[in-house]
Amino acid sequence: MAQHQVNYASAAGLPIALTSVDKLVNWGRSNSLWPLTYGLACCAIEMMASGASRYDFDRMGTIFRASPRQADVMILAGTLSKKHSEFARRLYDQMTEPKWVISMGSCANTGGMFNTYATVQGVDRIIPVDIYLPGCAPRPETLQYAMMMLQKKIRKESADMKKNTKQDLTNQTGKRARLI
Amino acid sequence: MRKYVPKDNVQKKAYYTDRFHVVPRVPREKIEEGSHFANVVKTVGADIKESYVEIGQLVLHINPEDNFKVIKILKEQCGYTQCSEQSAVDYLAKDNEFELFWQLLNVTEAKRVRVVCRLANGLAIESIEPLFNSANFAEREMFDMFGIKVNNHPFLKRILMPDDWEGHPLLKTYPLFGDEFASWYEVDKIFGKEYRDIIGPENRDPAKIDIKDTKRFSRVGYEVPFGAEYTEEEQEIEYSETALVNYNKKASKTLDERR
Amino acid sequence: MQVANKLSPFFENLNFERDDNTMVINFGPQHPSAHGQLRLVLELEGEQVVKAYPDIGYLHRGIEKMAENMTYNEFLPTTDRLDYIASTSNNYAYALAVEKLLGIEAPRRAQVIRTALLELNRVISHLFFIATHALDVGAMSVFLYAFREREFAMDLMEDYCGARLTHSAVRIGGVPLDLPAGWLENLAAFCDKVDYEVEHTYEALLTQNRIWKMRLEDVGVISAEDALNWGCTGVMLRGSGVNWDIRKEEPYELYPELDFDIPTSDRCDSYGRYKLYMEEMRQSTRILRQLIPMYKETDGQLMAHAPQYISAPKEEIMTQNYALMQHFVLVTQGMRPPRGEVYVPTESPKGELGFYIKSEGEPYAYRLKCRAPSFFHTGLLQKLLVGTYIADVVTIIGTTNIVFGEVDR
Repeated sequence: MAQHQVNYASAAGLPIALTSVDKLVNWGRSNSLWPLTYGLACCAIEMMASGASRYDFDRMGTIFRASPRQADVMILAGTLSKKHSEFARRLYDQMTEPKWVISMGSCANTGGMFNTYATVQGVDRIIPVDIYLPGCAPRPETLQYAMMMLQKKIRKESADMKKNTKQDLTNQTGKRARLI
Repeated sequence: MRKYVPKDNVQKKAYYTDRFHVVPRVPREKIEEGSHFANVVKTVGADIKESYVEIGQLVLHINPEDNFKVIKILKEQCGYTQCSEQSAVDYLAKDNEFELFWQLLNVTEAKRVRVVCRLANGLAIESIEPLFNSANFAEREMFDMFGIKVNNHPFLKRILMPDDWEGHPLLKTYPLFGDEFASWYEVDKIFGKEYRDIIGPENRDPAKIDIKDTKRFSRVGYEVPFGAEYTEEEQEIEYSETALVNYNKKASKTLDERR
Repeated sequence: MQVANKLSPFFENLNFERDDNTMVINFGPQHPSAHGQLRLVLELEGEQVVKAYPDIGYLHRGIEKMAENMTYNEFLPTTDRLDYIASTSNNYAYALAVEKLLGIEAPRRAQVIRTALLELNRVISHLFFIATHALDVGAMSVFLYAFREREFAMDLMEDYCGARLTHSAVRIGGVPLDLPAGWLENLAAFCDKVDYEVEHTYEALLTQNRIWKMRLEDVGVISAEDALNWGCTGVMLRGSGVNWDIRKEEPYELYPELDFDIPTSDRCDSYGRYKLYMEEMRQSTRILRQLIPMYKETDGQLMAHAPQYISAPKEEIMTQNYALMQHFVLVTQGMRPPRGEVYVPTESPKGELGFYIKSEGEPYAYRLKCRAPSFFHTGLLQKLLVGTYIADVVTIIGTTNIVFGEVDR
């Protein structure tokens, strides 16, 4: 499952060439991802459990921050209702670049079991998502695996800010990550 | 021609119905003489249209105009000091009425009473907020979900749905997936109406399979790289070679030899 | 440095120009206090709250409308998501309401298992309460200790039903699964651990702690009459001196046969409620210990025998033809209960959780209303928060133990 030995030197066989500055910056970024506490419903409890005693999230360098300006990753855990969608987008916009989004649980991925009038059918309708995490509620180990997947994804990115910006909604369609 | 679907009740209906099936009723018992419930019925007096005991709780049917009076008597003279629950049931399709109920609790006697009334469509009900503060939120929820207006409520505003929502969700005419206003609500609110085409309609089908979507599905035998165009070229399915059997060899030659 | 004047005022100074001088702040739907999506609009006079307006509905998922479009058995896993911290208590409240509507009773072994799961969920919920309440007030290590105990409890639940958080461990008519081997021994070890930890960790860290006492005493005071008027139930009511617990007054399951006490407090404030939660955890372990020997005396039937409403056990479905046919009809069409309505209250860890079900004889409920204790406790915030300082606002939200799955449904 997880690769415990990470080789920062190689570019993992990719067509783009990562410079050593890229690798250094990506090492720094991936090993200290600070999530924004965006727990909405039941998945928030599993997110808290993953940050608590048994499944310690701190060993990955994550510290849960409440303010969007100080956070890198937004973990949307739980059902996004239509009343809340405006605030979720607003908080996403307030996050500073570089930022990533993990959509945790079925409700955030696709609306989940709540196929009703008041639920946004998938957070990716309004926020571009990097990693989708299935489960209802996903185990804390699954969330940590998703975080490690995100770290792998970050290490492949170029450190150039202009290429990674997510401001324009219309060029999002090519960037959707695969389901794990 | 489109099949005729009645719009006054869009709740899911049973597919198979048995016309000889007689639906039993939950048993209703008579009120015993001299019991606590009999005293309650006597104290409330003439406003009760019907009363019986159902699953250990007293049920009183009243007229909607008398709800404040009856609940006041129940609170002050019979000791029902908590209103546990109140809401409505939509019978607009059948009788053009709502059936409202209040669930009251007597803590000292450990007894519960349900006060039920039928409210015609378009009428408003008197608020019991001066008697029970729990009605503050509960009546707001009733208004939000059914559209039943409440007179003399201190703050009658939508509570569960957003303030600019149109429609009352729990009515039987409101579909489960939401009407057009509901399905585009978040797109209109955040990005504006122009983005409806860019984002696309909601996917309400949990079993939707799109053959041209190469990011989520891959067809065995016609695989393409992630996100590439969908093609009809057949790819060779390569199986692994094991020590004993070579699955890549065509089976027909073996069969021919056997014949 | 910018200079404010009448021609170009700053927004942060505008309110102070007004006569009444109050500041309106928004305690937004996303905030680090772990309670979920509550938006409070507070009008402050300096540091004191003058008016509080709780805005809910940010987790409204339309669960009641879903119940009208799903069969009774299909809807059971949805009830998990109401009070997602102690899922089995919601499943059980719904299953009990449907059983009362149908007029059936679960067999003895199922009752033992269900009562054990209910009390285990009570411990889980109270551990979560103390974890988040202490985290909000500032005692962060209690959060980690309580989650450690909670992990053991969730291991027990996972051994039984396979899921840590959203259990669906109870069915209409009984339970689907028997206890695995060694579960009761693990439960006994867990009860010992919880008793030890409650006394030596949580109470030792918090009860005589000067800071804890200063932050919790006389904060969130509500009189008994007000509590009843505002619809409070559960610990909110018992913390104000009203001796009301549905497990004793309107008993269900095996509670009439079990020996336990109901702690009440006359203090009416958050400190009294905190002590009640600790004491309730002890009473729950006491109940669990009584249930362990009762299990062996029961015979193996797990689901009630009511072929019209409930499927047969799996062994019969796999071997007998009529059981398979009936199971097929019940799963695809759904069972048709009698016409009528029922309201059944149960004592969930948060308060009185009740389900009102109105059925017209169809396989889909005509109306289902969930009486959630946290809904009324959130309404109570309109009164509780007035006159408190803004630091106490977080404490009061924590002590009311609200969970937004049930507030918004």
